Amino acid sequence: MEPLRLRVQLAKRGKARYVSHVEFSRTLVMAARRAGLPLQYAGKYRPRMRISLSPPLPIGVTSECELVDYFLEQYVSPAEAKVALEKSLPAGIDVVRCRLMGSSAKPVGKLIDTAAYRVELPPDAGLEGDWRKAVEVFLGMEVVSMERVQPRRTRVVDLRPGVHRLEVELGGRGEGVGFLMVLDDGTRGTVKPLEVLKVLAGLAGVPEDSFQKARVHREGLFVRRGERLVSPLELGKGKPAV
Amino acid sequence: MSGRSSGDLWERIEPLLLRVERPSRYLGCEWNAPGIAQGCTSVVLAYPDVYEIGISNLGLAILQEVVNDIEGASCERVYSPWIDMEREMRAEGIPLFSLETHRAVSTYDIFGISIPHELTYTNIINLLDLAGIPVHASDREEGPLVIGGGCGTANPEPLASFFDLFVLGEGEESLGSLVELVSRGKSQGWSRQKLLCEAGRLPGVYRPSDYEVDYSDDGLIEGIRPIDGAPERVRKREVDLEDWPYPRHPIVPFCEAVHDRINVEIFRGCTRGCRFCQAGMIYRPVRERSVDSVVAMVESLAGRTGHEEVALSSLSSTDYTMIEDVTKKVSAICGQRRMILSLPSLRMDGFSVEIASGLELGGRGSFTFAPEAGTERLRRVINKPISEKDIIDAVLCATRTGRRRIKLYFMIGLPTETDEDVEEIGRLVFRVRDAVRSDGMAPPTFNVSVSTFVPKPHTPFQWIRQETLESIERRQGILQANLRARGINLSWHDSRASTVESLLARGDRRLAAVVENAWSSGSRFDSWSEHFDYACWEKACEDAGTDPVFYLYRERERDEVFPWEHLDFGLDRDFLFKEYQDALEGKTSPDCRGGQCLECGVCDEQGSGLALEGIWSS
Repeated sequence: MEPLRLRVQLAKRGKARYVSHVEFSRTLVMAARRAGLPLQYAGKYRPRMRISLSPPLPIGVTSECELVDYFLEQYVSPAEAKVALEKSLPAGIDVVRCRLMGSSAKPVGKLIDTAAYRVELPPDAGLEGDWRKAVEVFLGMEVVSMERVQPRRTRVVDLRPGVHRLEVELGGRGEGVGFLMVLDDGTRGTVKPLEVLKVLAGLAGVPEDSFQKARVHREGLFVRRGERLVSPLELGKGKPAV
Repeated sequence: MSGRSSGDLWERIEPLLLRVERPSRYLGCEWNAPGIAQGCTSVVLAYPDVYEIGISNLGLAILQEVVNDIEGASCERVYSPWIDMEREMRAEGIPLFSLETHRAVSTYDIFGISIPHELTYTNIINLLDLAGIPVHASDREEGPLVIGGGCGTANPEPLASFFDLFVLGEGEESLGSLVELVSRGKSQGWSRQKLLCEAGRLPGVYRPSDYEVDYSDDGLIEGIRPIDGAPERVRKREVDLEDWPYPRHPIVPFCEAVHDRINVEIFRGCTRGCRFCQAGMIYRPVRERSVDSVVAMVESLAGRTGHEEVALSSLSSTDYTMIEDVTKKVSAICGQRRMILSLPSLRMDGFSVEIASGLELGGRGSFTFAPEAGTERLRRVINKPISEKDIIDAVLCATRTGRRRIKLYFMIGLPTETDEDVEEIGRLVFRVRDAVRSDGMAPPTFNVSVSTFVPKPHTPFQWIRQETLESIERRQGILQANLRARGINLSWHDSRASTVESLLARGDRRLAAVVENAWSSGSRFDSWSEHFDYACWEKACEDAGTDPVFYLYRERERDEVFPWEHLDFGLDRDFLFKEYQDALEGKTSPDCRGGQCLECGVCDEQGSGLALEGIWSS
């Protein structure tokens, strides 16, 4: 029998936002073991828990929508699982909600393709008018080339097709300018909020160090269905989980 | 999250985190990290190496909990900031900070530093300097008491001028009484001087400035004089493991650490009497934890940590009297909780290997054995008399149960060693491989790791000279020529690093200048090959006017006064010397649990004797 999946939405805040993706994954595995969830293991000699994680969150970014699918051997009530997990997670990582998914549900790692971010700049980072103009120019461009430096190779990528919404927002931290960004993240490629910000800063004529202190928050992870953004916790509703 | 209390440096630290490798090293909010009550006697314990190594240290984990369990005391952690973080901290003027509350280490009452081995000495000075604490104890008029502990206290003399106090031996009780003394001193308004005087009188606590060392013209030590009524010798302390079921809430790091597992000590001390082994000498006598306590600890730690592996640790785990009983019971827990049980420090005898092979390891992974030397003759010299048959049987047993990797540890530069002994290391490995073949199996991969022997204080080899760098390098050449084959990987430690280790291991107070010079010209993380700089140490010696030959390549006379003469780790000098003489003649000494007492001095003076679980319960 295909196992059940416990889909958990987590917030990562405070000091825990400096925990890397790999470390976050380890932490979720050990927390589930402490919580005593009836997990499914794979591998004969050194069994490993089966989990699936949403796309990596950049170090330093906070989130209220990280997702993990735990593969379970038997039924647990999501409410009980939530309580047990909450007691087993380190400070800064909290459970938002849990849902039991049917056995045919795609795991989050193969599902998510879109992320929404809120970005807040420090008050002294450029003028609102310049940023608005930069956003307008950005959205009007057909191609936004950007050098992506990776450990093994550096390549030029086009950010534009991965940027689905980009808006200036006010009223965040102090007088500062902020942005809402809806970006490719996951199965269809990834655009990072700081990459977009870097291009915008170039267009707005703002020096790089002034936006290094930007606060970035991942607000939602979604699956795109045409123009619609669907929450991975709403998928497959209507089909009984057990 | 920030600015909760005065002195919290988090807001200044935070901007640095995006510029350094692995920021989770500096967060302090790991699972099981203790909540810290402020306003009481505050302790911060340091490990002078990077986070991933320090977090795996069992001693500090135990002591942190011991102090936090004392009413009115709190204990936090700090590790050496990695090179990139140090650069950022110095550039921003941020002092060394505790992990749990991110306050400056200089504001604590006690700054305890673990001294794991000689190649951390520069990191220790660096910790003091980063904390903004004067590196010389004599320059301190305020600030925390700087206390050293751990196995490095077997001879802390090269560090004597940097520490206010040392805790000799096991720290569970000593650190507790120091904390209580500091609390009393604070409430009664004692001066720092008064506090240090009182502390120097506590059992197991060594205050180096209470002793003066006289040197003769030829550079030898004439005498070590206690002053102001200090005791003639300071005796190390040891505890009964049954009274100290720690750690109870070990911290689980975010990142992968060097030991990602539950560590339960099943006993301390060792009766085997390997003559090169300092730990086997200074942690005597053997004290076992009861099977019931071990099982209870494994059970509760499994739930509290979520780890996937349990190690029953000690200096030689299959020597535990009730080893079969305890592995059976712990294996049952492991089965329920999907954990793996491992026994580090396996002896090469059929019994040990059978037990280890039967564990839930299920056949994968590797086994590590330490024959130490290539010939039976040399193994008798070091009193680890394993026969070649033992070695072959152990590897056969491991291979039959499915191990595809065998790690073999050897040393070169052992006393009386000849080129022939070194050549035999290669031949031995080939003979073991052939034995596996003729047993009808494909031979496993052999990872042969060769380190350089360093004579250590409080061992029978404390009199002997270090093998020269040239001769070690020649012998490494012999190994390289002899061990070239597919499926055999040879690696060795940098012999120049071993030379520095050896210089400091039996060093005296005059070497403080060498360590300080090396540190001030940039030496850090000397045990990391990518950071070790031999030229820096050579220059440090030169600038201090120190002749390394005096410390390294000199055979000591029987009655030479050693720099650690006033530090009593329980071992009788005549016992050590007799062991040394027996070694030179290739005579072995039996394991004393067989009943034949070797009069090492530990039991007689203490009347404690061996505490063996099997004997209690039978």
